[in-house]
Amino acid sequence: MKSFAGARSLSALTLLVLSSGQSLFAAEQPQPGGSLTWGVETEPNTLNPQLNGQSKAELILRVAYESLLARTPDGAYIPWLATGYHVSDDGKTYTFTLRDDVKFSNGEKLTSAAVAENFRHAQDPAYCAGSSICALAGRIDTIATPDEHTVTLTLKQVYSPFLSFASGLKLISPSSWTSPQLKAGGTDIAGTGPFILRRYEKGQQIEYVRNPDYHWASANAKHQGPAYLESVTYRFLPESSVRTGALLSGQVDVIEGVSGNDAGEFKDNADFSYQHALNTGTPYSLFLNVKYGPTQEVKVRQAILQGLDISPILQSIYRGERTRVWGITSPVDPLYDASLTGKYGNNPKLANQLLDEAGWKTKGADGIRTKDGQPLSIEIIQAQATVRDQRDVLLQALQAQARQRLGVDLKIRYVDSGTYTEVRKTGQFGSIANSNTDTDGIDIENHYLPVNAGGAINYSRTDAPEIIPLLKGASQTLDNAERKKFYGQLQNFAVLQQALAIPLYEPEDQIAAASYVHGVGFRPFKQMPENAYDVWLSKH
Amino acid sequence: MSAESTFIPPQRPKSAPSWHGRVVRRLLSGALVLWAAVTLSFISVYLAPGDIVSLLMGEQVQTPAIEAAIRAEWGLDQPLYLQYLHYLWRVLHGDFGRSYMLNTDVSSLVLSQLWPTLKLTGLALVISLVFAVVMAVVTAHRRWGQRIAGGIELVLASTPSFWLGIVLLFIFSFTLRWFPVAGDRSFSSLVLPALSLGLAQGAVVSQVLRRGLEDALDEPFVLTLRAWGLGNRVIRLRHALRHAALPAVTLTGWLIGGLLSGAVITEQVFGRPGLGKITVDAVLGKDLPVVLAVAIFSALVYVVLSTLVDILYLFIDPRLRDNGQNGEENA
Repeated sequence: MKSFAGARSLSALTLLVLSSGQSLFAAEQPQPGGSLTWGVETEPNTLNPQLNGQSKAELILRVAYESLLARTPDGAYIPWLATGYHVSDDGKTYTFTLRDDVKFSNGEKLTSAAVAENFRHAQDPAYCAGSSICALAGRIDTIATPDEHTVTLTLKQVYSPFLSFASGLKLISPSSWTSPQLKAGGTDIAGTGPFILRRYEKGQQIEYVRNPDYHWASANAKHQGPAYLESVTYRFLPESSVRTGALLSGQVDVIEGVSGNDAGEFKDNADFSYQHALNTGTPYSLFLNVKYGPTQEVKVRQAILQGLDISPILQSIYRGERTRVWGITSPVDPLYDASLTGKYGNNPKLANQLLDEAGWKTKGADGIRTKDGQPLSIEIIQAQATVRDQRDVLLQALQAQARQRLGVDLKIRYVDSGTYTEVRKTGQFGSIANSNTDTDGIDIENHYLPVNAGGAINYSRTDAPEIIPLLKGASQTLDNAERKKFYGQLQNFAVLQQALAIPLYEPEDQIAAASYVHGVGFRPFKQMPENAYDVWLSKH
Repeated sequence: MSAESTFIPPQRPKSAPSWHGRVVRRLLSGALVLWAAVTLSFISVYLAPGDIVSLLMGEQVQTPAIEAAIRAEWGLDQPLYLQYLHYLWRVLHGDFGRSYMLNTDVSSLVLSQLWPTLKLTGLALVISLVFAVVMAVVTAHRRWGQRIAGGIELVLASTPSFWLGIVLLFIFSFTLRWFPVAGDRSFSSLVLPALSLGLAQGAVVSQVLRRGLEDALDEPFVLTLRAWGLGNRVIRLRHALRHAALPAVTLTGWLIGGLLSGAVITEQVFGRPGLGKITVDAVLGKDLPVVLAVAIFSALVYVVLSTLVDILYLFIDPRLRDNGQNGEENA
């Protein structure tokens, strides 16, 4: 229950930030019209909302593509394109009832056949290969459409994260499947969203116009009917200081991705609003390889987990703007178990004792421990593609601390995606540092299932027999309290006992907007910047 | 500048028997360079770490069915030499394939990004040449001018273009609001990126050009010209500059390569479309069709430019021409 209190106080904090930014304009009524330019960090590599796996692209694609159910902040499911859903008693059959008044932006009706076609393609490797939907849709055994408004999906086995996938799959129109744009996405790929893709200028921007027929917003939205804005343009500005400057000089109206150093420009500035929200999913963690190098020994892993003192490092690098995490998933995830808080770390005495016991007793001239003439050196692999948010500085600070406190040499290696793939394939690395934003336990499964059995991002390469029954147990019950209990045990084993991962901090998203922009915010539960639908502009 | 334009009249080498042979030789060597570019790129992409299928699968659950689907879709199930031959065959027919990562047609992708990059590098080239010529002509053999110019050049040449871009943006876009930050929408959005790209390169050329100019001004012929009563400016622009230009022109050919690769960072900073970012992403993601198309295009640019530079030598330096009588009219 502790974690719920934590989550609640956290969302209360977000609310506080939100309300303080908007109370000034409480008297004003939302008004339609205007166009918005939003400076974003990431350009989508495909505009197909199903194949795109970039968390940062959701912001851009969600305005045009929608899914069956929406989520409330606590993770509960509420109607959207489906009026409701039902799970059979054996937990295998999911029935969705569709609204009967939804149309794709090209005029095609949202029928059960149209929805079923989406799930059928999600199972087809020729379509889905390379995206995350393949594995999840692969769990479907049969797809049925008893009538025009009912879709029934039957699974091969009970799998609790399935509803999260099925209800969140962004649906595209029947004519999309024959379009040459299918995989790259584009104006031919119609969705049901409040905005319609008008133009994509590669490397520059993407423009949407209002869908005048839209009237099926979920209860999460603050209004019904068409969106307020006539159009919204997302402009790609990959450099964070350029985004900040563009907003400060009025060249864009909203930006996402504000660096810790720039946050101050907007925070106490009446001309702007600033908000931030923790990501979902795995925190940025060091995963220690149990199959290669010195980290094969549990005592070495334990020593790193226990010896490092992470909180002061975070404090000094991020000026208190980032959140320390102790467990295997995000504090905002309803499945998060906060019981590990403060349970480990900052204990160099214990750590050094563990290293002595493991036989790393002598120290070389450089202060690094050795055994049989070999230095205690662990190579941390950090993919160049995910170095952001001063993670390089964070790793350097850890490196310095490990050397001083423990006599452990952490070697940091930044690698291109080819080398990253290669290293993951061969398993020859000491540690991989990464985070992940999946929810509903999918992140945990991907990290802790054995590498050859669905552990797509099992960086610790663990195949401990203790873990599998816990993951199985969690995925085979639909009772969230029960699932949380399993994941709590897993976390205890993976972090506290085995030190497979050293959680560092939870990444977050930020939004800064000019004060005349109202209604920007984060999507409930998923916590990604979103909501061009509720955005409106006051006079400026 | 007005003097320079008289150096480039539309001349055609007349009736030289070796003329056709030269053109054919040029074309053949150009084709050879293109083929080498494709082949070497193909080989190096395959030698770089990480196999393409795994890269395309990303950090997803891998099953044999998914792997097979990817291999089949991109023709990666064929032996390497067949993939290579098929690629050459398709390129000869104008088909550059589809991007692995972006899933779009490569020819239209590269063509759509080509124009913004050419605009950027073109203007940057003009800026760097104007900067170099003005700096060199104004300051050569002038003690203080030379020192100040040398300082400016040193600072510009050693400033990372990333940082220069941010500084220019901060002053002229964010503070003065004269130019927009991003995109490729109007001429004004081209000014700052071209400056940040062009100035650093211009500084290098300027140093070389000034040295050449100073050497030329020390030549005896300058004394003769002065004795004729010619003004300082005429001597510098019309006579000494021409002598000094050869090494600078050579450097300019090299500089264009620098501009193209520098465009990567400039495009990123200014949020401009262009080949730069596409190329980097493609190389990192082993997006072979895009890498090869860019390699072919870059090789083409080099071939064209080096030919132009060779021709330019002939115009600038009459001594290099086979038959001298064409050069008379310029003197």
